[in-house]
Amino acid sequence: MRALTPYSFIIPALLFLGIFLIYPMFTNLLYSVERVDVGGLLTGVTPFVGLQNYQHVLGDPQFRSSVIILLIFTATCVTFQFIIGFLLALLFKDRFPLSGPMRGVLMVPWLLPMVVSGTIFKWMLQLQNGLFNYVLLSAHLIHQPIAWLDDPHIALAGPIIANIWIGIPFNMALLLAGLQSISPSLYEAASVDGANLWHQFWRITVPMMRSQILAVLVLGIILTSNVFDLIYIMTGGGPVNATTTVPIYAYQSSFVFYDLGSGAAATVLLFIVLVIIASIYIALLNREEVRS
Amino acid sequence: MKTYTTTTAMRTALGLFVTTILLFPVYWIFATSLKGDAELARTIPSLFPLHPDWQTYVTYVFKNPDIAHYLWNSLQIGVGTMVLSLVLGVPMAYGLARQPIKGKRLILMFLLVMQMFPSIMLATPLFVFFSNLHMINNLAAVILATTTRTLPFGVLVLRPFFLALPNSLEDAAAVDGANPWIAFVRVILPLARSGVITVAALIFLLGWSEFLFSLTLLSDESKRPLTLGLYKFITNYGTNWNGLMAVAVVAAVPVLLVFIFAQRYITSGLAFGAVNE
Repeated sequence: MRALTPYSFIIPALLFLGIFLIYPMFTNLLYSVERVDVGGLLTGVTPFVGLQNYQHVLGDPQFRSSVIILLIFTATCVTFQFIIGFLLALLFKDRFPLSGPMRGVLMVPWLLPMVVSGTIFKWMLQLQNGLFNYVLLSAHLIHQPIAWLDDPHIALAGPIIANIWIGIPFNMALLLAGLQSISPSLYEAASVDGANLWHQFWRITVPMMRSQILAVLVLGIILTSNVFDLIYIMTGGGPVNATTTVPIYAYQSSFVFYDLGSGAAATVLLFIVLVIIASIYIALLNREEVRS
Repeated sequence: MKTYTTTTAMRTALGLFVTTILLFPVYWIFATSLKGDAELARTIPSLFPLHPDWQTYVTYVFKNPDIAHYLWNSLQIGVGTMVLSLVLGVPMAYGLARQPIKGKRLILMFLLVMQMFPSIMLATPLFVFFSNLHMINNLAAVILATTTRTLPFGVLVLRPFFLALPNSLEDAAAVDGANPWIAFVRVILPLARSGVITVAALIFLLGWSEFLFSLTLLSDESKRPLTLGLYKFITNYGTNWNGLMAVAVVAAVPVLLVFIFAQRYITSGLAFGAVNE
């Protein structure tokens, strides 16, 4: 009895996750190989259709374009969030007057509900009276106001800008923690040897932070690929599907067209890709551990 | 010594500049909410509201009969998610940090993978699941669904706080003959207070901000939270940006409150949790 007590701390949570997470995940996998529509849901008859849903999704030009849009969205967001977050982390690494309060308030964009962030960017990106167009026009960077969210060729830029803004604090906080764990004596020794800041950055900072950099990038890729709220609020996937990423596509399949089987198949495909990325990450981490 | 002070001053100036730019959108929500219709239509936007007009708050927030129930629903989802996640997650984080449990590493990996699930992947099966249980339009369904996301997150952020406590704590309690649960509640929990507050605050905000599960599990407008209310206003109010921003300010208030009261814990706690994983 006593030997079982330690497990009593984790069993309730594991049971909960089993019922509300693992079981639904399993049924999702099941739906992806069944025909699930409104009638099927009412009658409970969902015939097995093999890989038909996957064939349907992979053959759907809409899905293919949602994959490309998701890749552009994720690659752009993660790159900029990471670079800006890293620069800010370097700025805030050492204390200076007001650095504490500034670091604190910089977390606010990350904590705001996505609906609020989406609404404010939607307003700032308006064709008429939008702040972005006003600033760009005043600076003579553009000559015509841009229809940020209504022009299919450029609409993805809106959610990208908003999502970079949301992600910067997260990148900054994690990278800052990594920077502060590097012993200052390394830098002192390097400057005695005459290494300049540029060399110190590439020879000390980057190698010492390898695992944090990897973690931030992988987490960034996963979190960004899953973004739904922001895009749904800013553009709803439009205009003409120009901002439909895989999560938006899956939502529309399941909850707009009530083709739950195809929606399930699309999410399973996304999840497989994310698992592969995470496995590469874990493999790299293990190799790091062996090396050090 | 002089160069030192100049670089410090430059850093402060640069820091202020960056902070101002990055926080400007947050200010702009508030500034817009106080502008009258005429001022909003100006071609040159005014940096500060020329004639701060609280009328938008009266029209779109206080006299808007929907706002009260949106707020009440959001509050229930936020508090419900927080309580459920803590009741399940705090003991789990403690168990995984300090109790002799087999397969710890495997469970931790499992929790990490749980966090990778796209929420949309759960939305479809949970919709069917709760339909079968006749729990559509029931806030409990949203709370249960949201907890599947916040529980793994909470455990992973909280565990390092328990790991950081000295090893001898349980031994001392065991000598006194205390049951591990009693030692956990009386000795460990008070010492991990700052970690629990951090996680509680963050999970409340996640529940308050929840959108997708409310969208798919609640179709009755009177059951929906403020996040969906704000989304509805975008479609309904069209270009009444001042009214929309007044509602957005209301939705952002808990973030600012939590931030003011728990900022110290949140910034240190987040970094702590992340580094130690």
